[in-house]
Amino acid sequence: MSLDAGGGNRPVVLVVDDDDAIRGVVRTVLEADGFEVVEAADGQAALMLLDSINGRGPDIVVLDVMMPGIDGIEVCRRIDHALMKVIMLSARDDADSRRRAEEAGADGYLTKPFSAIDLLDELEAMSR
Amino acid sequence: MTKVDPGPGSDLGVSTAASLHAQLEQFATDVGELYRRQKERSEQLEAALSSLRLAYRETVRSMAYVVEAKDAYTGQHLERCRVYGNSLLEAIGVAGDYPNAEFGFLLHDVGKVGVPESILNKPGPLTAAEWRVMRTHPTIGSQILAGIPGMDDAAEIVRCHHEMWSGDGYPAGLAKEAIPLPARVFQVVDAFDAMTTDRPYRASMGVERAVEELQRVSGTQFDPEVVRAFLAIVDDLPVVRA
Repeated sequence: MSLDAGGGNRPVVLVVDDDDAIRGVVRTVLEADGFEVVEAADGQAALMLLDSINGRGPDIVVLDVMMPGIDGIEVCRRIDHALMKVIMLSARDDADSRRRAEEAGADGYLTKPFSAIDLLDELEAMSR
Repeated sequence: MTKVDPGPGSDLGVSTAASLHAQLEQFATDVGELYRRQKERSEQLEAALSSLRLAYRETVRSMAYVVEAKDAYTGQHLERCRVYGNSLLEAIGVAGDYPNAEFGFLLHDVGKVGVPESILNKPGPLTAAEWRVMRTHPTIGSQILAGIPGMDDAAEIVRCHHEMWSGDGYPAGLAKEAIPLPARVFQVVDAFDAMTTDRPYRASMGVERAVEELQRVSGTQFDPEVVRAFLAIVDDLPVVRA
């Protein structure tokens, strides 16, 4: 898997979630709104993809917290936050979970089930 | 950086069937909400567009009135030409193909701004030289509209409103289908309205005689198909308030 963000001006979003259906819906909605979408099915795939960047990487990462193997918090921790922003998706709505995401460097936090419209709003605010 | 290391939180597990179901239900709700927003936005656009069109039409109308004010013949002739013309395009089934034809109906004589008043309002018959000047008005009019985006059909009507089905009209002597359809439509409604309205130099001849006259010149002055379509709606024309 390699990351080819192309030469366009559209913001690139990396969507990391272990569920195909969720990634599919998110891709459809984001593309319809003008974002370019890249997917990864788990934390390890996401990190490999970010490592393989040669040129332009994603502007924003949408990151599921609960994934098998390397979880979203760990991926978030390893991301270079000077280069991209991160929105976490989590089933947990407690203060502790939010704090952990924040400490890992997350810029946004949506609880699952999340609204695709809220996600769009966050992404648009971030890519402005 | 890519070393596999199950960090804290990895024991939280993966999404269950129940949570996936809840998520997909949320997406379904989102679809409905997005659709509602989109519909609302397109309704707003629709309303803005129709008020823009109204403003545009009124601007065109003012422009047309300026020309008509210079001519002796005024009244609601322009508005009736617009309304009858649209009705006739509708009856023929091509109204959707010529949304801007109405601007041509209103502005058909705009080129008269280039014709001296002494010729326009001359009481007696025009000399050959005066006719040559008079016959320039369709060309002048179409040139006036030439630069306006979306006015192509209107400019064609202006350019061809004195052409004749037989080829004996002016300025180009076009015949039959070489004359654009909206122009052929305009000629019929313009003539009908002229005949059924009191003019400074003669009274209305009435609908019945006007219909006879249209039938008489159908196939020479006018497109017979267009005349036939007009006669089918002549009794149901919209009323244009004076």
